[in-house]
Amino acid sequence: MWKRFQTDVKKYINYANYSARSDLKAEVASSYLNWLWWILDPLLFMMVYTFIAVTIFQSRIEYFPIFVFIGLTLWNFFNKTIQGNVKLIRNNRNIVSKVYIPKYILVLQRTFVNAFKMFISLALVLVMMLVYRVPVSYRVIYLVPVLIVLFLLTFGISCLVTHFGVFVDDLYNVMQVVLRLLFYMSGIFYSIEKRLEEPLKSVLLNVNPMAFLIQCARQCLLYRETPSPVVLLLWGLIAFGTCVLGIHVIYKYENSYVKIM
Amino acid sequence: MQKEIALEVKDLVIRYRCLKSFSLKASLFRLAKGDQKIFEAVRGVSFSVPKGEILGIVGKNGSGKSTMLRAIAGIFSADEGTIDLHGNSVSLLSIGVGFQETLTGRENIILSGMLLGFSEQQVREKMDEIIEFANLGEFIDMPVKTYSSGMHSKLAFSITAILESDIILIDEVLSVGDSKFKKKSYNKMKELIDKEDRTVIIVSHVAETLQKLCNRILWLHDGQIRMIGDTGEVLAAYEEFMS
Repeated sequence: MWKRFQTDVKKYINYANYSARSDLKAEVASSYLNWLWWILDPLLFMMVYTFIAVTIFQSRIEYFPIFVFIGLTLWNFFNKTIQGNVKLIRNNRNIVSKVYIPKYILVLQRTFVNAFKMFISLALVLVMMLVYRVPVSYRVIYLVPVLIVLFLLTFGISCLVTHFGVFVDDLYNVMQVVLRLLFYMSGIFYSIEKRLEEPLKSVLLNVNPMAFLIQCARQCLLYRETPSPVVLLLWGLIAFGTCVLGIHVIYKYENSYVKIM
Repeated sequence: MQKEIALEVKDLVIRYRCLKSFSLKASLFRLAKGDQKIFEAVRGVSFSVPKGEILGIVGKNGSGKSTMLRAIAGIFSADEGTIDLHGNSVSLLSIGVGFQETLTGRENIILSGMLLGFSEQQVREKMDEIIEFANLGEFIDMPVKTYSSGMHSKLAFSITAILESDIILIDEVLSVGDSKFKKKSYNKMKELIDKEDRTVIIVSHVAETLQKLCNRILWLHDGQIRMIGDTGEVLAAYEEFMS
């Protein structure tokens, strides 16, 4: 499988790249406001959650708007990629039924598109950090491994979701509920560490990868802390394993996708 | 003179299991029954195509023609038997190649070319030729979703015809487009065919086209080969059977 993966990636990576760029361009071209929404969307939701958290729950967290914004940035990438991939094969039946392409290349293409939007959002985080005069330390570089783990994890889960999405018609509805639950358990507009009691707190932070990764990003960007390297490495390995599993499953079953549609 | 073999199909079997997609609710009710119907679209077909040959495939609807072409193109693999391309590149030309609806014709040319295994550079070199052949005017820079179905297939045909893969599979495409384009594509097919090393497989219902283009005809009936051989002979038998 490794060898096949290598040759396929070499052959199709340019396609994923070019297609992702064209998609982004088309999105910008279709309406002038569209690219603005890449920024407006997290910005407006940040305001909503800040309002709720500050006025209703009287939350007192340092740099709260940025705190929320970082959470939303990472979450949106994860959420949108996975949701978009549930019906991926069906939406691309044009291509899938006309020419052979390893199906995870399509997943990769979607992941690239959303990753690009995430980077724009992250750039905005930096701007906000300047505005709020957040003191930064060298620990900012820990964001790099955090993002790599996030990317691998999202891609791996997306592959699996893509596969099951072909066979299960209503997976989309199921995933919506699951993702919503995960959203509330990832501490995007509250601090899991300060709000929750002991057993639940550690369980969430260590077992829910999104809660953990978002916390890591906040630690290194806002609070000059070092994220736990052991847990990060562990999640990195799990994410890598998910990718391998996802690609394996797709290789094994992608032949029957066209027959089912 | 023994010609080099470009494509070899051996004991090809393709099944459609009726494992349709299911919804969770439906599966809860149906799980108990669990009977799977298996439909064999292609049942033990073997043939080989020498390099440079134009092979026509005829058969009534549902006899497995398109299924077989898709299998040769690698879209899905054989359940039994083998398809050996001897390292040749292959492209399937059927109505509406995989276009991304929101992107422009120009971008789709590059993407389709890349899917067919060419590099971006190679496609760009041929870009002008493709655009000229497709003759879409200013539509080439508009999103593909604005195209009429005729324009769709004109673009699709141009891409596969100009970007030359070793084996071209054609699924009933010569009968689309306006009469001017039909003529042009027919001439292009002629031109491709005149090149010694191009191998083409055509599925069509139009006996006239096959008569003019093909070296040999394969008659597929209910997933099996009924007859294979000289163009005139097979077509005559087929016509008689159909009438």
